[in-house]
Amino acid sequence: MFFHIVLERNMQLHPRYFGRNLRDNLVSKLMKDVEGTCSGRHGFVVAVTGIENIGKGLIRDGTGFVTFPVKYQCVVFRPFKGEILEAVVTMVNKMGFFAEAGPVQIFVSNHLIPDDMEFQSGDIPNYTTSDGSVKIQKDSEVRLKIIGTRVDATEIFCIGTIKDDFLGVINDPTTV
Amino acid sequence: MSGEEEENAAELKIGDEFLKAKCLMNCEVSLILEHKYEQLQQTSDDPMNQVSQVFEKSLQYVKRFSRYKNPDAVRQVREILARYQLAEFELCVLGNLCPETVEEAIAMVPSIKTRGRAQDDEAIEKMLTDLSLIKKFE
Repeated sequence: MFFHIVLERNMQLHPRYFGRNLRDNLVSKLMKDVEGTCSGRHGFVVAVTGIENIGKGLIRDGTGFVTFPVKYQCVVFRPFKGEILEAVVTMVNKMGFFAEAGPVQIFVSNHLIPDDMEFQSGDIPNYTTSDGSVKIQKDSEVRLKIIGTRVDATEIFCIGTIKDDFLGVINDPTTV
Repeated sequence: MSGEEEENAAELKIGDEFLKAKCLMNCEVSLILEHKYEQLQQTSDDPMNQVSQVFEKSLQYVKRFSRYKNPDAVRQVREILARYQLAEFELCVLGNLCPETVEEAIAMVPSIKTRGRAQDDEAIEKMLTDLSLIKKFE
């Protein structure tokens, strides 16, 4: 799910940026620094949308760098266990398939794909029901439930399932 | 972290910080990101180079999965859902997935029933009808 939240960060600024453009420099450095980053707690920072306030700068002894506490609003993407969302399938193999929901990767193991869907290898590997009516392949859109998340310093990785009511393929690229 | 272990969106356990935060539906994110992208286009020749991969992927994703395109419809969806005493998170899941039946809505947002609110099937049904009307007249 996407959220709009307020975060705080201490920005260090080199003295050469001081002057009347100090604020602009600070903001553009902030965007460069935080956009695209990911933390386990807040998820992926997608975009900075505004600055709440910039505190008083503190000169660091010995270097001349100044630290400003900056409060900013941003759009973050944070997946939660138990959340249901839609995703695009990016890769299919016999272990299961990978899907992407915005910046996050989700793996759905073949144990968590309904039992009546079988893996078919070939040019376009896919999972198909025995009657051929439902097919999951690259670029399919699926609705899935996140059942686990793994967080490391720069990435969040999710495990999902489509073995539940109202989950599964919502849009098959071959039928459009 | 012990808090991490107990996380479960189905029971609305998403941590205090996110529970109080403003959730955004995909269509709202789409409006925000497109606006930001347009601003970038004005200031640089090659905006795609300026943005992070996370931004690019998010923009593609929300464009693909936005149920409502025009800003008025997006505002209406939020207004309608706001009448039903939903948590922000529940509101956005419903807005994103647009369930068609009451059972589907409950399967998508189980907390709608368990939090002891007077949310009967009739009310949910009414809410879903209102939502589908916006879509129709968009």
